[in-house]
Amino acid sequence: MSSEPDPLDPLLQRWSQARPQMPAPEVLATEVWRRIADAEAAGGEPTLWGRLDAVFSRPSFAAVFIAACTLFGLFLAEVRLSRVQAQRNVQLAQAYIRLIDPLLEQPNPGSPATHNSPAAPANPASP
Amino acid sequence: MNRGIIVMLLGIIGGALSHEGWLTYKQSGVSGSDLDAQLAWIKSDLQLTPEQYARIKAIHQESSPHLHALASRVARMRDEFNAFERQRTTTGEIDFLEFAQFIQERRRIDGECLQSTRQLVDASAGVMTPRQRERYLSLLSAAHRPAGSAN
Repeated sequence: MSSEPDPLDPLLQRWSQARPQMPAPEVLATEVWRRIADAEAAGGEPTLWGRLDAVFSRPSFAAVFIAACTLFGLFLAEVRLSRVQAQRNVQLAQAYIRLIDPLLEQPNPGSPATHNSPAAPANPASP
Repeated sequence: MNRGIIVMLLGIIGGALSHEGWLTYKQSGVSGSDLDAQLAWIKSDLQLTPEQYARIKAIHQESSPHLHALASRVARMRDEFNAFERQRTTTGEIDFLEFAQFIQERRRIDGECLQSTRQLVDASAGVMTPRQRERYLSLLSAAHRPAGSAN
């Protein structure tokens, strides 16, 4: 064995002094798994808006959606219209009766004829 | 993201425009309270033929002056009745002879009103087909119900 000092020894000694502090193995493992989870979350499952945007970006779906909204608007209008029409029919019928029945021109509680008006037939099916 | 919002907005605008447009288009029907408007409504509702409409319009126009005159007399009788009532509450007295004449006149006018209206309804119904007549009379019956039970 030679007693001559190895020239690498001071270098290794200097490197060991300059080496940064290593975390404990369990802390290192936790940190590694955390970073892996972060990376998967960032590039994986899309958000709700992201999904909607992807769906609406398809021209066929966009066209169907707009057409469906238009038809739904028409449907709501028709429902509303039928209610308005029913109310208006009653109002027109009442106005018509006031025109043809002089006893109904103005309500008069003292007149029994308002209840015996010929415009309110007892049997609607009879001529 | 922007494209999705634009498509949704276009859908909402399309729905709103179609809704309002359809309402405006369909609501431009008959309106008004004069005889022509009422007859136009009857024509539309009962799907009268032009001949039926012309006949029914003529019937209504013939009886209209008489019905107006009767309505004026009914209104005058109502004023007279109110005068009797005022006299009764203020003086506590009433001329029974005069009141009896009033009642008699009122009954006569009421009877005349009933007869005139019935004649008009019968004459109009006579021009219609059985189905139209049934619908016409049911409309009159429905209009006589109180407003709350109209539907």
